[in-house]
Amino acid sequence: MSQFLQVMLSGLATGSIYALVAIGFTLIWQSAKTVNFAQGEFVMLPAFFVLVCTKVLALPLWLALIVALAVTVVVLGVLFKKLVVEPILPSGGIPLTIATMALAIFLKESVKEFYGAEAQPFPPLFPSQTLNVFGAVISLQDICNLVVALAIVVVLTLFLNRTRTGRCMQAAAQNPAVAEILGINVRRMVLYAFLINGALAALASFLITPVYLAKFSNGEVLGLIAFIAAIVGGFNQIRGALAGGLLIGVLDNLTATYVTAEYRAALPLVLLIVVILVRPQGLLGTSEGRAV
Amino acid sequence: MTAPALSVRNISKTFGTIRAVNDVSFDVRTGEILGLIGPNGSGKSTLFNCILGQLPPDGGAVHVAGQQVSGSRACDLSKLGVGRTFQQLSVFPQMSVLDNVILAGQEHHGSMLSRLFGKPDAGLTADAEKMISFFRLEHLRDELAGSLSYGQQKLLDAAMAFMAGPGLVLLDEPAGGVNLTMLAHLKERLQTYNAEHGTTFVVIEHNMEFVMSLCSRIIVLAEGAIIAEGTPDEIRSNQQVIDAYLGG
Repeated sequence: MSQFLQVMLSGLATGSIYALVAIGFTLIWQSAKTVNFAQGEFVMLPAFFVLVCTKVLALPLWLALIVALAVTVVVLGVLFKKLVVEPILPSGGIPLTIATMALAIFLKESVKEFYGAEAQPFPPLFPSQTLNVFGAVISLQDICNLVVALAIVVVLTLFLNRTRTGRCMQAAAQNPAVAEILGINVRRMVLYAFLINGALAALASFLITPVYLAKFSNGEVLGLIAFIAAIVGGFNQIRGALAGGLLIGVLDNLTATYVTAEYRAALPLVLLIVVILVRPQGLLGTSEGRAV
Repeated sequence: MTAPALSVRNISKTFGTIRAVNDVSFDVRTGEILGLIGPNGSGKSTLFNCILGQLPPDGGAVHVAGQQVSGSRACDLSKLGVGRTFQQLSVFPQMSVLDNVILAGQEHHGSMLSRLFGKPDAGLTADAEKMISFFRLEHLRDELAGSLSYGQQKLLDAAMAFMAGPGLVLLDEPAGGVNLTMLAHLKERLQTYNAEHGTTFVVIEHNMEFVMSLCSRIIVLAEGAIIAEGTPDEIRSNQQVIDAYLGG
């Protein structure tokens, strides 16, 4: 029982970070109707911004985190929208999706070129202690990651549902032409979505990199799993992305512990195939009509 | 002399080699209900899109209550009191009827800070409920807009267009696909709103009975240009209109 609890909590902690990244996929999908295949690299990059701040600029960690968050929001939010999305989106969603694949390669290779291919240690945000919960030995870092990630999701959900700006963002995502007619500045709402995505990527990066170390290739697996989590949960629903992330995190840990660690990498893909066959809109998603 | 509610001057719009709107000019008086009719592809919706800044016209000018608005974005026109309904269904399907109507009015209230920290309904729930009742949708107040019937969504669309208290509303085929009972109700509501608030309407419609009984003046477009203008009776008897559109 204690092992089960341990595996569950650890899975939820990892899954909550997958969820943050997956929510980014849904935000970009809802605002720009595109899949950002550089999302994993968006999570990899902020960790290196922190390392540059602490090692090159000799900033204290707390300040480095704030600077890295701000730089990420500007680079991966504003610049990504202005330099990649806006010029290419008029040509259609597919060219933009391909452009994000190119961007992923560019970001990955740039970090490798300028910072090296070796994994870099990343300062932990929380004490590396363990707690004994009902006999289960649980890492304090896991607990903190879970609490912080869920708190971020709660704040984001409250923002989207309980503020006028959040409701305008939802309206702009559901029907941009009508939202514009009603006086909603749709361009601004789309920018907000990109800014939030940048912030989510940075926060996910700060939480997960102490566990996996900072490496140029971190985004490959993370981006893929978060993409699958978003599809499994429902690509057009934030709560779906949350559920998908948590589900994959937990199932991954359960499989590795009780079945075999050998095929754990295949589990998200199996889950993806099953969901697409049984419920294509995702567990909590809604089907979207398409005019032909 | 009061400026017209809407003044359209020499608007043209070309798509490739197709001239969708060809040098169209007209005025709409304040409080008037103007009909805009014409065969499919005659440029009516394109003209609406040019007026509202959703399509940039190739040339010409648009004035709303005397103010030049050419080149303005639709969201800016909304703040000048211009509303629109769409030919296609135009609600927010994953929000309740009440939230749809509140959202339609909220951009005209409050500051930047109140958008983040103010009441989520911008204090508009009571007004929204009144508007929902006006269109007799109160029994559907908490239903998701996407679950409503086509006709009910058309009524909701109209309620949303009126929620911000616009001085001018462009209605794009409000009767399209609506059953006869709902249609009579919609027409009666539009006439009542016009009489009570003096709101100006420009109505694109293919349903001749609806448009002839609702509008005081009608403009007929064919191949992007105005071919006739007059009262419903004058339009009915205009040979050019009969040939181009109404049929023998």
